[in-house]
Amino acid sequence: MTAALLPQLAQTLGAAFLEAASADDMDEAAILAGGLLPAVDVLRKGGFNHLLDIGGTDHLPLTPRFEISYHFLAIPDIMQSRALERGSVRSLTSVVPARFRLRVFPDDMNPVIPSLVSIWPNADWPEREVFDLFGVRFDGHPDLRRILMPDDWEGYPLRKDYPLRGLNRRFNPGGKPGAVPPPVTK
Amino acid sequence: MSTTDLSIFENSPDVTAAAGDERDTLVLSMGPQHPSTHGVLRVMLRLDGETVLSADPEIGYLHTGIEKQAENLFWQQAVTVVDRADYLAPLSNSLCYVLAAERLLGITDIPPRAQVLRVMFTELTRIASHLVQLGTHAIDLGAQSIFMYAFEMRERILEIMEFVTGARMHQSWYRIGGLAIDVPKGFLAKIDDFIARFPERLDDMRAILQKNVIIMDRLVGVGVLSAQDAVAWGMTGPILRASGVPYDVRKAFPYSGYETYDFDVCTQQGGDCYCRFVVRLDEMYQAWRIIKQAREKFPDGPVTIEDRKIIPPPKTEIQHSMEALIHHFKLVSSGFNVPEGHIYQAVESPRGELGMYVTSAGGNKPWRVRWRPPSFYNTQALRKLAPGNLVADVVAIIGSLDPVFGEVDR
Repeated sequence: MTAALLPQLAQTLGAAFLEAASADDMDEAAILAGGLLPAVDVLRKGGFNHLLDIGGTDHLPLTPRFEISYHFLAIPDIMQSRALERGSVRSLTSVVPARFRLRVFPDDMNPVIPSLVSIWPNADWPEREVFDLFGVRFDGHPDLRRILMPDDWEGYPLRKDYPLRGLNRRFNPGGKPGAVPPPVTK
Repeated sequence: MSTTDLSIFENSPDVTAAAGDERDTLVLSMGPQHPSTHGVLRVMLRLDGETVLSADPEIGYLHTGIEKQAENLFWQQAVTVVDRADYLAPLSNSLCYVLAAERLLGITDIPPRAQVLRVMFTELTRIASHLVQLGTHAIDLGAQSIFMYAFEMRERILEIMEFVTGARMHQSWYRIGGLAIDVPKGFLAKIDDFIARFPERLDDMRAILQKNVIIMDRLVGVGVLSAQDAVAWGMTGPILRASGVPYDVRKAFPYSGYETYDFDVCTQQGGDCYCRFVVRLDEMYQAWRIIKQAREKFPDGPVTIEDRKIIPPPKTEIQHSMEALIHHFKLVSSGFNVPEGHIYQAVESPRGELGMYVTSAGGNKPWRVRWRPPSFYNTQALRKLAPGNLVADVVAIIGSLDPVFGEVDR
């Protein structure tokens, strides 16, 4: 169903398109950060109207280091029609939604990704979470501040060079001594 | 009236949008200890009289770094920490995680008995979780006695859980490759008893609640979310279905053999708090239907796969076989490796689509376990739902969103 989108994405993004993969559950495309907005445009036209999730992964010591994964869901229009009577709902289960994954690789030295808040309002919190835990910034986010950790927390806890028990700081006397890991290790 | 320091809101888009007007407004911090917030949610409300102009939920009070912990445990050990995220439906979390790990490992031959038991217990969990939501929601609205009815029913489920898994709350019963232990003798009598008694209890509850004046007054027309908004705000689960979108992961992307069960996707068209409440009541009945069908199937056989690289051999074998002892030692001391790859697995938890994006770097620990917590997105929608309502309605809206903060903050 969504396989036709992959060549379209490759054509639209050009050099920002890295690779495509198809699995039995969903198709995916790996792209550079600059290609996110055009890619989202293609996906929206292809029916992907629901932003499921934005999450980060730190692939240290590999490069590119950060992967920001976007999962999209296409809920068919017919499912959203308010005129549906309750009795006809059972027949609708044959209308199957589809999923799609974008893996976005920002620049290691300056990890910045365009924000999707203006397109999907629910991108706000997950983008703040990725910023909070990985230190990847979202360009155009209206309110990019920490969400899970305290505002004055040092370091980005889900990075692989951040120790499990944290750093020895005011909030965590049991952590490892030493400086905050530098933002990027090559 | 507006003497509160607003500087903490400087960056909040909701507040700066409203800051331009000259109305006399009050900022009220609701929580994090407010009883209606079901845990530790703090909502900064900007009020004009009793009307909410904007609401800004603040989360993170229960952040325990579960995702970081999961990266530092063996694949099988991490089952115990994923349980702790959504503490009202721990088995949904475990199910999602073990399914993801099994797909990465390429395990497709989970024995039928384990599949059926997984479905049965995940649906029991759904009922138990919805009962907590109904009971606490009713307390928030001033109907105190419902809580006792709900928890009496929940107690029956927890008794079964304790009887089978040894734990009432964090069962950690599912394993990559099957189940930790088979059900003990006497389980079938208990589940039969539950199946026989539950519909009557549910009807009682429905009779008390569904046309209840308090419930109707407080919920009908409050916190309306249109189908388009529900999709735009990333809603899933009962909240999306209450807005008229019949999306259910169990139907759309079946797992664990859900395609072989006969059940309906419950929807309502109104999109308000009352519709969400009715959807949850209906879903409990559908969950009961699934449990009943699982009981009718209930095959014999093992509850784990035979692969000794994944599942340790039984004790009797260890006492006689050197090879079995080595397998056991290897599994306990260094776990097993999972092939490199990444996978997204989703299940329908009581709160919506619970997804896990699991990445393996080929080692004996998950490289990354990224949650897609439904409560996280549902709580975020409070910013959309609360403005325009009264303060008392915010309590009703939070209850109808059914957030679990273990899962929101992880």
